Amino acid sequence: MNIRQARVQDLPGMQACNLHNLPENYTMKYYLYHTLTWPSLSYVAEENGRIVGYILAKMEEPEEHDNPEKTEQVPHGHVTSISVLRSYRRLGLAKKLMLQSQEAMSTIYRAAYVSLHVRKSNRAALSLYRDTLGFTVKSIEEKYYADGEDAYAMQLTFSQP
Amino acid sequence: MASQQATLAQKDRKAFQDLLSCYELKQLTKGRKVADQILKKYPDHGETMCMKGLILVHLGQRDEGIKLIREGMRKDLTSHICWHVWALVQKGEHKYEEALKSYMQALRFDKDNFNIVRETSVLQTQTRAYESLVESRLHMLRLRPSFRAHWVGLAVAYQLSGNLVEAKRVLEHFQSLLREGPVNDAEYSEFLLFHVHVLEDLGHLQDALAFLDKKSKDRYIVDRTATHTFRARILSKLKNTNKESPQAAEWSTRAESEWRALLDLNPECSDYYQAVLANQGIDLGDLDEDSCTKALALLSEFAVHFPKAYAPRQLALTVAQGDRFRGLAKPYIEVALSKGIPSLFSNLKKLYANPLKCQVIEEIVEDIRASFLVDPASPSEPAKYLWTLYFLAQHYSFLGRHRRALEILNLAVEHTPTLPELYMTKAKVLKRAGDPYGAVRSMDEARKLDGQDRFINTKSGKYRLRAGMVDEAEEILGLFTRKGAATPGADLTEMQALHYLVEVGDAYRRIGKLNLALKKYYAVQKVFEAFREDQYDFHQYSIRKTILLPYFDMLKWEDEVQSHPVYVHAVVSATRIWIRLHDDPSLGKSLQPSAETTDASRKALSKAKKAAHKGNDPSQESQDAANKKVSNQSEDKGLDAPIPKDEDPDGVKMVLADDALERAAKFLATLKESGKRSIDACLANFDVAMRRKKYLQAARALTHAHAVDAQHPQLHLRVVQFGNTGESLWLISVTTKLSVAVSSVSDSIANPVKSVLHETLISLKPEEISLDVFTSQYLQSHSTSPSAILACAQACKFLGNPTEDVESLLFTALKDDIGLSVEDGLRILSYLQCVKSTRAEEFRIACDNKFELSTVFKSSEEQAALRHQCLLEEKEDCDDVETL
Repeated sequence: MNIRQARVQDLPGMQACNLHNLPENYTMKYYLYHTLTWPSLSYVAEENGRIVGYILAKMEEPEEHDNPEKTEQVPHGHVTSISVLRSYRRLGLAKKLMLQSQEAMSTIYRAAYVSLHVRKSNRAALSLYRDTLGFTVKSIEEKYYADGEDAYAMQLTFSQP
Repeated sequence: MASQQATLAQKDRKAFQDLLSCYELKQLTKGRKVADQILKKYPDHGETMCMKGLILVHLGQRDEGIKLIREGMRKDLTSHICWHVWALVQKGEHKYEEALKSYMQALRFDKDNFNIVRETSVLQTQTRAYESLVESRLHMLRLRPSFRAHWVGLAVAYQLSGNLVEAKRVLEHFQSLLREGPVNDAEYSEFLLFHVHVLEDLGHLQDALAFLDKKSKDRYIVDRTATHTFRARILSKLKNTNKESPQAAEWSTRAESEWRALLDLNPECSDYYQAVLANQGIDLGDLDEDSCTKALALLSEFAVHFPKAYAPRQLALTVAQGDRFRGLAKPYIEVALSKGIPSLFSNLKKLYANPLKCQVIEEIVEDIRASFLVDPASPSEPAKYLWTLYFLAQHYSFLGRHRRALEILNLAVEHTPTLPELYMTKAKVLKRAGDPYGAVRSMDEARKLDGQDRFINTKSGKYRLRAGMVDEAEEILGLFTRKGAATPGADLTEMQALHYLVEVGDAYRRIGKLNLALKKYYAVQKVFEAFREDQYDFHQYSIRKTILLPYFDMLKWEDEVQSHPVYVHAVVSATRIWIRLHDDPSLGKSLQPSAETTDASRKALSKAKKAAHKGNDPSQESQDAANKKVSNQSEDKGLDAPIPKDEDPDGVKMVLADDALERAAKFLATLKESGKRSIDACLANFDVAMRRKKYLQAARALTHAHAVDAQHPQLHLRVVQFGNTGESLWLISVTTKLSVAVSSVSDSIANPVKSVLHETLISLKPEEISLDVFTSQYLQSHSTSPSAILACAQACKFLGNPTEDVESLLFTALKDDIGLSVEDGLRILSYLQCVKSTRAEEFRIACDNKFELSTVFKSSEEQAALRHQCLLEEKEDCDDVETL
């Protein structure tokens, strides 16, 4: 097992892993956008040269022309996608990947917190985020997913370094 | 020239300026009106014609617009506006080389037009014209020296062109201009890492180190992982290149502490452990007794220090031998089985290359199993018992002992009937044993136990495709694709699911729907073309962001992307189909649909279209937003040529093409260098070249194949074919077997070419022996390889040996001392059927008896019944759900 920062060369493997595991998929350019903008936030788990798990993450920066109501927004990390192939579960890979990314969000980008969305029905993921990683549910976004399912919007606040 | 072209009066020049600004502001309809007014007065004004044409293209009247632009250009070939417009149109068609030429023309007439120079620089990057990129970047900097991005752009251009000395000079000058950069800024931090990298690549290691230390101390470089990695790497290089230096020991110590700091941040990164070992002079690829002991000591120290990390323990297992291996493997396996880690087998599999380790692992796990046998009905750790059985099943299946694997799995299922992994593994075992239908059923059972899991769903779809059940696969895969897509396959194609495209292409190929198979292989090509296209926007984006090291990675990746195994597979498979279509012209006709099926498929299509509607899709929205951020707003967008409607969605016209070989050659050519590294691509190249009578190309393909795998059985066959053709063509003067019919072809080959062909042949086959002897020698030295037997049979057939001899040679593959696999058997059977051998049926039945668990050697009727049975079960289950 090898957990390391994702490189451009890993992106097809990450895309394949994502397509095998999750119903939310992205074209290659979106993966490139992540790696070429926040190169230190995405990680992969590799076994025998194959990508068996990944975290794809980015930063959300408050922008001036954003909604004025959001002016109190601070930079924070966001997990676009995280998954591990079914046959590589119970190794704690998702947790290890997440912690690597969080560390980078906090130290490099001074993120105040990290956010993510999870399907209401995905109990295994919910338990990982809430019980193992300490995320809390901030709100429910109705019909967030293309198939009409609601999402929990979850957050984890970083302790200040 | 100038007198011919209409010159605008003062006030009309104002109108033309209005036209330009209308365009800039995207007031297209207004712009068109202004253009029409000018053209009323000056119908020959080339620039106005071009601008109007451009506006028409934007408005969706592409053909008309392009026609007008062409006319306008003819009126005024000295206008930078006309050339610029033309360049934009070509760029929209992704003809980057041509667009670049047009931009260069535009620059001849307006050499300091900044926008044109900038766009030129982007195209020069896209087309990898790095020398001229430097010129453009210098030009941009001269025009606008106060823009920081242009200094960055120039440094990048120098780096890309390989001129690191100048890159360094530009970076240093930029640093002096900047005086103080922003502290704690991730993008500036990345930029400084690029600076360090340039110094490192120049070999200025001490400077690189000093720069890195200073910039990270002052909080300009904020990426801790990167800082440690760079420092560790540079220190290691310093030590390795200056072994005699008095500082060497200090560098070594510092390097080690950097690697250890990285391990503290990420103890699961095996690269770091290897680096620590390498720093102490231990090369894992080349261990002796002493270094092995040292490595194990270090790794066990790490295992204590990082009790939760797998990486040091796994590395130790690859390093240790004999009793030490047993000592380490036992607790490792015990713990993993107690925890129920499903990947334990895949994790240990790589150790099986060493048969002794394989044996030890088997003993350890069998011992664990035996410990349960006291009371298997209620073992003390039921979960551990289950995972032990699960491991053993995978172990025996991997070793080809499928029956044993199935027995163990049946025990496990009896113990716990609800664990999907057991059925998934059973499916895999059956697939390996040659029973794709049983595999489908078993994978479906797994899927039904966890319907929420896309991974099992994907596998289930794949197994159906392997069993030739394409529609049924699509149905299952559709449970997880977007409901808004026209079909599940359309969504998977749009999402660039390469694993799907290849599997479905192969499935169509196996069931003889060559037209649909070809379509899928070309769909793979489209995905890779999209990958190539994806880089375009980043040429400016990355420089603006000053995030450059990953950008260089991307350029390298883009240059190599078509060497991806999936792409090579698609190209080779498509080529094989083109060759079949060429060799048998009636094949394409046989693939034409009957009237009623076209009607049915049209109905299905329109139904699917009606069902398609776009739901709100957050992932789609965020992707669109990202695209906006990446693309340069100032650049001309909206000119992209629309994707033409596919007039031949089922490929039925394509298979009638009379230029099959040319199409194959064109597809093969896209592999470029990577085609030389794949034996399959080399062989396909040879087969196409021989049929096209391009003998030099065929010779080159053989030479490349020989470099990849000199003993490959199919290469042997090709050498025989090449030699045989040679005897009748270019060796004609040597053998003096003159015949009128061939002499005309032979004469068309020039003498120098003949001698190259001859040289190639004797580099592959000893000159003094005949092709028959060559073949029997090859067979003798590979007598237990089924692939070699097949290739030699093919060669014998090709050389005109009697069919009975060829057949009896192939039947030797059934002997007990030959490790015939299911796949080998299928290949030989398919060859026998292909040459219409009367003994094909006999071979099929022999294989059916030999591979007891297999169903692929059943008659086609029996297989149809088995397929049908899978579907019936599926249907019954649906009925069950409804009655619930």
